[in-house]
Parts: sequence; C-alpha cells; structure tokens
Amino acid sequence: MANKLIGQNYTTPDLVAKVTGKAKYAEDYRVDGMLFCKLLTSPMPHARVKRLDTSKALAMPGVKAILTADDMPGAAAGATLGENVQSTAQAERGLTNEPLYQGEPILAIAATSELEAAEAVEAIDIEFEALPFVVDPIEALRPGSANARTQGNVWVRPPAPAGGRGASGDAARGRGAAPPSPPPPQVTVWKWTEADFANAKEGELPLGKFSDEWSFGNVDDGLKKADLVLDETFMTQSTGHQPLETRTAMAYWQNGKCYLHGSTQSTVQTVASFARWAGIQPNQVVMISEYTGGGFGSKIPGSIFMAIPALLSKKANAPVMMRITREEEHFIGRARPGVIARVKAGFTKDGRITAIDMYAICDNGPYDAQGDARTAGTTISLAYQPQAMRWRGLTVLTNTPPKVSQRAPGGMQGVGIMEPILSKAARRLGIDQVEIRKINAPSGKAPFGPTLPNGKQAYVTSAFVKEALDKGRELFKWDEKKAAFSGKRQGTKARGIGVAVSPFAGGSIGFDALFIIKPDGRIQIQSGIGNLGTHSLFDVHRIVAEMLDVPWEQCDVVFGNTAKNLPWTCVSAGSQTAHAMTRAAHAASTSAIKKLQEIAAKSRGGNPEAYKVAGGKVSGPGGSMTFAQAAQKAIELGGTYDGHEVPEELNNFTKTSAKALAGQGLMGVAKDTYPRDGQSQSYVVGFAAVEVDTETGAVKVLDYTAIGDVGRILNPRGLKGQLFGGSMLGLGHAMTQRWAYDQHYGLALARRFHHNRPPTILDAPTNFIGDAVDLADPETPTGIRGVGEPPVGAAYGAIMNAIADAIGDDAFKRSPVTADILLTSLENGGKRTHETLTAHI
Amino acid sequence: MAVIRDVIAAFELFQPATVDDAVRLLDQHGADALVLAGGLDSMDWLKDRLKRPRYVVDLSQIKELRGVRDVVGGLEIGAMTPLTEVVRHPLVKDRFGLLMQAAELVASPQIRNQGTIGGNVSQDTRCWYYRGGWNCYRAGGNTCYADTPTAINREHAIFDADRCVAVSPSDTAPALVALDAQMIIRNSRGERVVPAEEYFVGPGIDITRMNTLRPGDLLTAIRIPATWAGAQFYFEKVRDRQVWDFPLVNIASAIKPDGGNIGSMRLVVGAVSCVPRRLKDVETAVAGKPRNEETAKMAGEMAIQGAQPLRYNGYKLPLMRNLVKRAIRGSEGGSWTS
Amino acid sequence: MDFLTWGRNPWGEWVLTHVSWSLFWGSLFAGILFLVAHATYMFLSAHRKRAVAETEALEARYKGLPNEIERHTLVARLFHWVMAASMFVLLFTAFLPIVGVRFPWVAWHWMAGLVLTGSILFHVIHASFWLDFWSIWVGPKDIPEFRAEILRELGHDVPGPKPGKYPLGNRLYHLVIVVAGLTVIASGMFMMVRVRTPLFTRNPYVFSDSTWGFTYVAHGLAGVGLVGLVIAHVYFAVRPDKWWITKSMIFGWITRRQYLEHHEPSRWIVAGGAGSRPAKPSERV
Repeated sequence: MANKLIGQNYTTPDLVAKVTGKAKYAEDYRVDGMLFCKLLTSPMPHARVKRLDTSKALAMPGVKAILTADDMPGAAAGATLGENVQSTAQAERGLTNEPLYQGEPILAIAATSELEAAEAVEAIDIEFEALPFVVDPIEALRPGSANARTQGNVWVRPPAPAGGRGASGDAARGRGAAPPSPPPPQVTVWKWTEADFANAKEGELPLGKFSDEWSFGNVDDGLKKADLVLDETFMTQSTGHQPLETRTAMAYWQNGKCYLHGSTQSTVQTVASFARWAGIQPNQVVMISEYTGGGFGSKIPGSIFMAIPALLSKKANAPVMMRITREEEHFIGRARPGVIARVKAGFTKDGRITAIDMYAICDNGPYDAQGDARTAGTTISLAYQPQAMRWRGLTVLTNTPPKVSQRAPGGMQGVGIMEPILSKAARRLGIDQVEIRKINAPSGKAPFGPTLPNGKQAYVTSAFVKEALDKGRELFKWDEKKAAFSGKRQGTKARGIGVAVSPFAGGSIGFDALFIIKPDGRIQIQSGIGNLGTHSLFDVHRIVAEMLDVPWEQCDVVFGNTAKNLPWTCVSAGSQTAHAMTRAAHAASTSAIKKLQEIAAKSRGGNPEAYKVAGGKVSGPGGSMTFAQAAQKAIELGGTYDGHEVPEELNNFTKTSAKALAGQGLMGVAKDTYPRDGQSQSYVVGFAAVEVDTETGAVKVLDYTAIGDVGRILNPRGLKGQLFGGSMLGLGHAMTQRWAYDQHYGLALARRFHHNRPPTILDAPTNFIGDAVDLADPETPTGIRGVGEPPVGAAYGAIMNAIADAIGDDAFKRSPVTADILLTSLENGGKRTHETLTAHI
Repeated sequence: MAVIRDVIAAFELFQPATVDDAVRLLDQHGADALVLAGGLDSMDWLKDRLKRPRYVVDLSQIKELRGVRDVVGGLEIGAMTPLTEVVRHPLVKDRFGLLMQAAELVASPQIRNQGTIGGNVSQDTRCWYYRGGWNCYRAGGNTCYADTPTAINREHAIFDADRCVAVSPSDTAPALVALDAQMIIRNSRGERVVPAEEYFVGPGIDITRMNTLRPGDLLTAIRIPATWAGAQFYFEKVRDRQVWDFPLVNIASAIKPDGGNIGSMRLVVGAVSCVPRRLKDVETAVAGKPRNEETAKMAGEMAIQGAQPLRYNGYKLPLMRNLVKRAIRGSEGGSWTS
Repeated sequence: MDFLTWGRNPWGEWVLTHVSWSLFWGSLFAGILFLVAHATYMFLSAHRKRAVAETEALEARYKGLPNEIERHTLVARLFHWVMAASMFVLLFTAFLPIVGVRFPWVAWHWMAGLVLTGSILFHVIHASFWLDFWSIWVGPKDIPEFRAEILRELGHDVPGPKPGKYPLGNRLYHLVIVVAGLTVIASGMFMMVRVRTPLFTRNPYVFSDSTWGFTYVAHGLAGVGLVGLVIAHVYFAVRPDKWWITKSMIFGWITRRQYLEHHEPSRWIVAGGAGSRPAKPSERV
C-alpha cells in the first residue's frame, strides 16, 4: 500500500459544516406537527412511586400524551452497553417506577411546546416513597449499611462453569483468545466486617472479602523476593462524560417505520440497540445521525432514552422532540466509574517489578456491571509487565448516575493508580523515571491479564513502548528538564516533571466495507461509522482511494442515515475504528481491484493478473479501461461485479444494503477476514512538566508531550487532535474534574459544567507536542491501530507524577489533585491530609 | 407538584429606555419584579424556575446606565457597563488597575462581554445547595445544608457564618471595597449613596439578601473616589481552573507608600465570608511598616484569626494567609534552587 | 389564613418549617387587646380587695404579724428578674428581625436561651426543695376560689376564699407560662444543634426533616404565645392596683395590711398570723 494519502494531512469533507454551524445535529431538525417532550425525573436517590395521577396534566391544553414506565418494554437483556458490557434483566428501561438515582426519568410528557410540557410536569400529582440509598461505594460495604438496590449492593458473578477462573472479564473476552461464555452477574448483598475496617489503617482500603479474582505467576514469592515493597491506596473519581451535545433525540413514524434523529457513536449499530430499547424490530428503524457532538463512550451505541420520543411519538401520533438539558445530561448522560484500589507492588533494586497484588473497588452506579476495576488490573499488567500479578475486586452498586465506559474505561484508572507507585519506587531506588518505565515496558507480543484456561496469558499484536519512551525523552527534552526542573524551587514556585505509560485497546476485527465505482468514475463509499467528532469517519475510507490510486476528491462518502444502505460497521468506541475499518476497507478494495482486473481482462483480453490498477485506470496487456468504463461493464456483467451477488460471510446488514445498491456500478464489498495473532493494543507515553505555587496550591502544566505507539499514522492532524483531546481529558482527571454528592440526601451538588469543572483551553499545557513512533502493527494489513483512548491515562499519570515530583510523593492519594489537597498537605509537611476513601467530595 | 428545571416560566418583560422609567416600574411592581442586567445570575434562577417573578425589568436598553465617566480624579462607572468595557477602559487602567485586574479575571471572555459590573457586584451567592433549589435559610427554610457533618463545603465561608455559610462570589466586589467605592442607588424616593463596604450584607443582618438593595431599588452607578487612584495595587484570584470559575479565595489591596514603608493600606479578601471581608486590623497593623517578609507574615497570621473552618474548607486558612502575605510583600522572584 | 408554613425538603417532600409569622402579629394584638379590654373593664368595675372594715377586723385579730411580710426571697427575686431579662432578650431578638429591625440576632438569642434554661432549671430545683412547691399550682381545691373570683370580677361582692400566697389568676398564668416556657426551652435546646455554638457540632441531621418541622412549630407557637403572655404580665405589673405585688418582686415584702387585704391568712400561713404555729420548713416563705 502506498502512502500518497495515508500519513498525509487533509481536510475532512464535513469540516466546513461543523465550523460554520451548517452541520445539523439531532436538535436542529424540525418536522411538521412536532411536539416537545419534557421528563419528570426522580428527586430522590432511591424511591418507589407511591401515587401517580396524571389526569390534571393530561387535561391541560397542549398536552398530547404521557409516557410512563408501564409503556416501556421490559429490560433488554443482552443489549450492548459500552465496551464489553452487556445488559442483564436488571438493566434500566428508560422510564421507571423505582428510580435508583436522582434524576432518573419517571415519565415523559409530549406537548405542543416545551413550556406547556414543563407546566404539565409540574401538574403531575406524584408521591414517592423514599427507599434506603447509598452514594459511596465503601459506605455500601459497611456492615448494616443501605443497599443501592432492593436486591443487594454488589454485582457478583456466579462461579464459572468448567473452564476455570478469570474467564469472565474483558481480558479474556473479545480481544484475542476465544473465551467461554461467562454466566451473567447477579446483584447480591455483600458486606465487609467491622474487623475488616478496623484492620485497615487510616486512608488504607480495607481488604474485605472480594467477589472476583484473577492472577498469573506467584505473587507471594514475587513480593518476598522484592527489595522494595510499596503498599498504597489511591482513589480515582467518577466523572460525567459531558459531551457537548446532550442526548437529545427526535422521532416520528411513517409507514410503520420509526425515523430517529439521535446522537450516537455508531450509525449502524444503533439500529439494533434502539430497536431493543423501544421494543420494535430492527427493520422498523431508520437511524439518522449525520453529526454527533461527542460521546466519549456514553453513546455506545446511542442511548436508551432514544426510546422515549419514539414511543411517545407513537402514542401521540405526532413527531416528538426530546431536548436534553445540561443538568439532565448530568444525570442520564453516563459517567466513568471511580475506582478505589490498594496496590502492593514489589521491586528489585534494579527497578524490575516482581509482583503486583491489586485490590480494587468499582463505584458502579445502580445498573449493569462495569468492567473498569478489572480492566484497571489488566492495563497495569500490560503497561508494567510485572513478573506476577493478582487482581481481586468488587463491583459495588451506588445510587449515583449509571456508569459506562468512558474513554479508556478502567485503563485510565489503572494507569493513575499505578503510576504514582512506580514514580515513588524510582525515587526510592534512585532510578530515572523514564528508565524504570523502559525496564518494565511491554515489548513485541507482550503478555497481559490472567492465566487463561489454556495455561497461557493473552498477548498483544505488538508493542513499541520503549521506542516511544525514547522518542518522547528526546522531544520533551527530559534530561534537560530533569536538571532544570525536578525538585527545584523558585520562591513559592515548585516545579516537577513526570512520565507515564498508558496502553489501551487499539482495534477489533471482522467488519464489512462497501463501495461502488460509479459509471461516472466517482467512487461512492458507504460508511456506517458514527460522526462523533473524530476524523475516523473519513480517514479509514482513504484506504480505498489509496489502494485504487485515485484522488481523494474523486470519492464521496455516504454516511449518517441507515436508509442510505450502509455496511456493517464497528461502534466508534474502544479505539476500534481506525483498525477495524481500515482492514475492512482494505478487504473491499482488494475485492474491487480483483473485479477491475477481471473486467479489464474480459474486455481487453489477457490474464486478469497482468492488469494493474493505477492512476484511475486499470491497465494491462490489452490496453486500459477507465473506472467509468469498468463500472459500466460491471453493470452489464452483473453477478458479483455490480453487487447482485455478494460474499456469503458478509453481515446481513451489509447484505441488505448491497442488495439495495446492486446494479449501480462496480461494487467493492468484503468482510475483514484477515488473520490476527494477539489482541490489538495501542500505547501512549506522556511527559509533563508542572509548576506548583506552594502558597496557593495552583498548578500550571508548562509542557506536555504525548508519543503514540499506534501503528502507522493514518492522518497526522487526526492523530494530534486525538492526542491533544485525550490528554486534556486526562489533565481534567488529574487536576480539575469531579462530582460532588451530598451524602445525607444522596443528591448531586455538582450538576453543571462549572460545578464539574472539565478543563478549559486556558488550562491546556503551555507547550504541547503530539507525535507517534509511526511503526506499523504487524498483525493488520494496513499497519494502523487506534489512538483515541491511551492518551487519557498517559496525561493523567504523567501530570500527577509531575506534581508529586514537585512537592512530594505522599501529598495526595486521590484525584483530582486540587489546590485544597495540595495546600493542606504542604501545611502538614507534605503528608496526606484529605480523605482517601470517601467518594464524590 | 413535581419539580422540573431548565424551562423558563412565563413572565411579563419590560425594557425601559430610561432610569426614570425603570425606577417607576420597579416601584410599581415591588417584590414581584426582577431586575435583569447581564442575566448571568438571573437567567439561572429563571431557568431553574426557582425564581418566578411576574415581571422582569431588563435594563439593557438604558443607555445612561452604561459607560465610564471621569469625575474629578475618580471615576463613575454605570452599573450596566459590561465587564469587558471596564477592563479595556484607559482611565480604569490608569487610575484603578486593581479593578481592571479583578474584572479581567471574572469568568470567561463571553461572560465578561455580557456580564455587567453592577450585576457582578450584586450577584447572588453560588452555594450549590442554595442554587440547587434546597430550601435552606437563604431560600426561606430553616436549615443550612452546607454546614452539616457530611456537607460538601469546600467553597464555603470561614468567617462570620450566621446559620448560612455561603460566600460572596464576586471578583470585582473586593476591589471596589478596597478602592472605597460608593454605590449609587435610586428608587422612587430618590437617590442614596452607600459605601461599597456597607453595600454587602451578611446573613446575620439579612439571610435572604447579599446586599442592601430592596425591592424598588436600582443600582445605577459605582463611583470610585480619587483617594486611591494610582496606589500600589495587588489582586489575585485562586480558582480551580483558569477560566469560567469562581474564586476559591481572592484578594484586593491598595497601598499608599510612605517612604519605603506602607503609608496606608486597604485590604479586602473575597470568598471567605458572605461579604467581601475588609481586614481593618491588618490595615492598621501594617501602617508604617516596611513591605517585607516579616510584615507580611505578621499580617497573614493576623488575617486568619478567628476563622472557623468547616469540614472541607480548612485550606482556605493557609490560602487566605498566604494571599495576604503576597499582597503585602508582592510576588517573589529569585533563581531556582534545589 | 395559614397558621403553619410548609416547605420542601431536598427530596421534594412537604415538611413543616415554621409557624406563620402572622401568628406573631395575632399574639401581639391579642395581648394588646386583652390589656385594653381589661383596663377598660377595671376602670369601670369595682375593686376586688377586702372591704376596709373586714380588713380592720383582721388587723385586730392577727396582731402578731410583722409589719413587713416576706413574699419573695432574694433568690426567688433574682431568678425572676434574670428570667425576665432573658425572656425580653429572647423575644426581641426573635421578633424584631421579623418586624424589620435587622441585626445579627442569633448569638444573642441562643445565649439568652441558655440563661433562661439555666434560670428555669434553678427555679424548678429551688421551688421543689426550698419553696412551697404546691403554692403555685392549680387543682380541684381551687374551684371555690375560682368561682368567687369570677363573681367578684363580675362585680358581685361574694364571700368565699381569698387567695393564698398566689392569687388564682397568678397561678393560672404561671401554669400557662410553664407550658409555653418548657415547650420553647425544650424545642430551643434541640435547635441549638442547628446553629453554630461552641457547645455542639452543628448537625441538623440528628432528627428527621418532619421531626424538625414539629420542633420548629412548637418553638414558634410557644414563642408567639409568650409574646401575648408577656404583654399581659407586664400590663399587670404596671397596673397601679398591682404595684404592691410588683414592689414585692423588687423588695421582697408586702405590708401587713396588704397581706390581710388581699390574702386569706388561713391559706397563706405566716408566722404570727393565722394558725400561729411554727411553720413547717416546706411552708416557709
């Protein structure tokens, strides 16, 4: 494959619309007779609807219909809920009579205007019975404490059938070795004892009974032979995803089909999930989503609340627009689960990690079990390659907004938990921070995660972390800065530098691509990718232009509407798209090239292999044909050439689309069936320099460098955008972003942007460098892996490490590291003074 | 009645073109009317349906309320002057750089374009219990939810809590108190002039208001006398992020030097109590002393005497102490040391 | 008119928050109205003390009585005035802000409340062990006196018991004050944990929202009740015909003649008077 386009900057076709405001998001659509809907949400963290009388509201002028939990289908077990999470029978249903968190929707009212709908909500006569609640995961484990659900407080997986331990998590599923199907987890009452709490020192996570475990190697031996053992507890915070576009949706019915305008991380895959949530058939769904204002894992795929306007529209027999406000988004917009972990890590005096013993609690929220605590463990096992590791954990339910994967779910938390320990060890052992990470870095087909039933660990497709560390060291001028910054003070200013290694999932396999070379010579590429703000929607299709050797300007990408016959596509999550869809594009291009050669041979004579596709033509011994001519010929020939016959292995979704498009030109269509040995993981190393004002606790990030090991660079501008955006999310977690809950009433205090404090452009590093080692992944034909997620943990870890370098290792044991935490610890001689175990403060 | 937020309830809107008309409307509608300046504070209340005035008097059309005027060495700033205009005005910069710095650190550029100086000093507290619609003392109830054993009160008061522990969130208010500004207030009975220091009201006096404005009153202008023009100023705001954030603590000071020493000083700290806290004791104690580390240290310790921290805001003591130190000794330079 | 003020707790449930402050105005006007009505009536009606001749006869009979008869011990008087002072501070700090006189009242209010509580505790103990505890209480045995007093109020000159140490009206007033005072003190003591004092960690969560509602209402009802009661008390204290009692609360004694004019010597036994026997400790004044 050439690199006329791959690795080159370009402007995506949707950019002008985005920056000029011409782009239409779900909220921008209007349909004749459209009603507006408003939600009545729970004022309590856990309650039961005791009395509900809608008659007064229904009698109000302008009110057309009211949707309640009774109108919703049952919980959709098996639905996809983010990365590696599937819903159970205890999943949410969109509306409920037993709200499990403040802000959970109870009912929805459709009226001719939002004002009327709001007034109707106020006219609803409703009484709740308050039920016991808990908003803090550790509190939920105390003896006698309240349970977040009537059924219990912890998700527990029943013992797996024959096949052994550790077969139930993400490490074992989906990314490599074929796993046995795990039994679904169940909500159970699970408490620690007073003795468990008494045995933990202040600020230490108690080591009570756990429900989940995996391991490899001998951890006890590893810790025994270590020259240095550190035992640290760290708390990462829960944070809302806060996409700029809230999960607004509009729906109407026409000829038995539901047309849904919504916000999603996958145009194509939202059809099935939405159909399940709304209790209708996938072939009744037309999903329209040309632009999505960010998802970060909270819209995989779409959102359960899309069912509300759809069903309300059916009930009212009119289109219904449901605009979600920022405050509603705080509650229903999903969040990253905070993880509290205690890690015991052993090091040889040379800095090699002998063993890690990790104990992690996941603040799961009230609904389906998230894998963050577990993924935190597998991420650590990959990033730092311990010789032995044991992970134990609990997934604790709380009456806080539902959690779901957020950009590097679990990975970011794992890096944040482990990086300060690594930094502390390096300082204790007198080893350079970059060196200790190189000593422990994954390389080649690096193993990670638990020992699988086959007696081996899973392993990655490739890792060039040492190369990334070397490149970063040079670009960041680590050694220079170390001399100038590390531990230095000027008056009230203290400076420090830090580095962190962050791996995360980098791609999936097995999806389809579909395009047509039209008789006018243009190439029409069908894309099912969600347009959530990354470049990947267009980037991946440049493979087609590259392989067919046509100018990018000759390609038209059709996207954003499932009525436009799109192929089966991955969700844009788990940093899959760049990897998965370039593979699929590669396969489809290969099939198109073959068809071009065959058509040329048929038309001009000779052997198909003797024909070459280049310069917008297929040329060989018998002369050449333009693509336009070939397309015309393909239509004449029919069969596989124009899509009347398609490969059997294609997904039915693609087959349906291909059928509809057949006969329009030469069809390139294929499923990615390329082999892959190992699981695709990407890596980013972050380098940070910070300045702490010791009199105010204010922190400024002076320099930040992010270096990716993300395979071949697909689009340098996109790469830098992802590195910068992901780093800013990590910076937010390190420095500013948080939730706050009043524990007495279980209610949210930080409900809006200025309370939650995501970082702003003025908090961005003064100098930012984003680059990659640009080394191809050997297990994919394009050499390309994803980059979306690993930058988050890298910035999170590197910035916290730099702060610790400036003012001391023990100043903080939770994030975000804010002025209050730093000031009080500085007042106390660098000791930790804040609470480590209380969430949402 | 179920609760819903984020939809403004209907009201009757007035957009008077003169102060006289505005005052007449406010007199006519009294407590039923809400005065709308830039709207950055009011719109939140309206959107949340926590305030449902029958009438809204929008001041945006009143030209005479806008602009900076030279008044014998001092300045008179119309209450509706946008913060951006205050920041950019050459006379503000020349004479009262303190106010310029304070105004420039308010929120974000967009908010400074829309927000007015009158609105900034008169805004309600940002206590998230109160603003969240909790029926606290300030909202007419009988509980302070921010001062309980489990409350999240990192941003609350360390001084003068009288049942309510909310703080003044304004950045310009401490600067105006430091500059000894006067607030010009009009109502149907005429005009009154209130010193900035007395404009702000603590919960002990009135737990439901942050300032002396009563229904019918209109803040028309802020007059800054020449007294402190060209003094040595110090303003600093500490916040969690660098834009669109309220102060954790801010400080405004003006010093008139006397030889090498502090001749006289005005020192005001914001976000530590319900009103901008003027540190008169410290002002007196540092008069005649040199601006050095020793004086700064003494002043810093003195400043936080009597502070009563809550569960999560103890850091405000060292923060306030250090800011007072800085205001006196200035920011530090020097070379990097290990 | 609503007598109670309701609010929402953070969960949106309706809870009591206060009594309506219109009740304060009600109590204030009731007190004043009573005072005007009573004064008018008294102006027009007859005096209620004994006829001169009758008193003269008693004078002759109880020659052994001292000239000055102790009515209130020094300790009892001190208590009364401390209590009165704290009560005034409490009422003014409570109600002046409501009528628009704004000042930081909370600290004064709770400190005065503590003084009041302390003085009442002292009084209960003192009265139980050192004073004639039952002399202030009302019971069935007072029915004849009640009947006679009522008739006298209506202008009839009836025979029948004169009051003992404390006239019936006095004792009835005391009873009402006991109820209102103890209510306001008990509720007020609980409310102390809701304001910041050096005594407790502030914690409004020791009771549920609805329990607090009742506490506030009890405090408010007793408080506004006290406004009327205190007005009535002050009124009687300043009435010329009651000065002799007021004076006794200052100086401690009444004259022999006042004793005989207003009291039933058999019901308030004083050394040298009716029954002329050594008084039991419990009866000692």
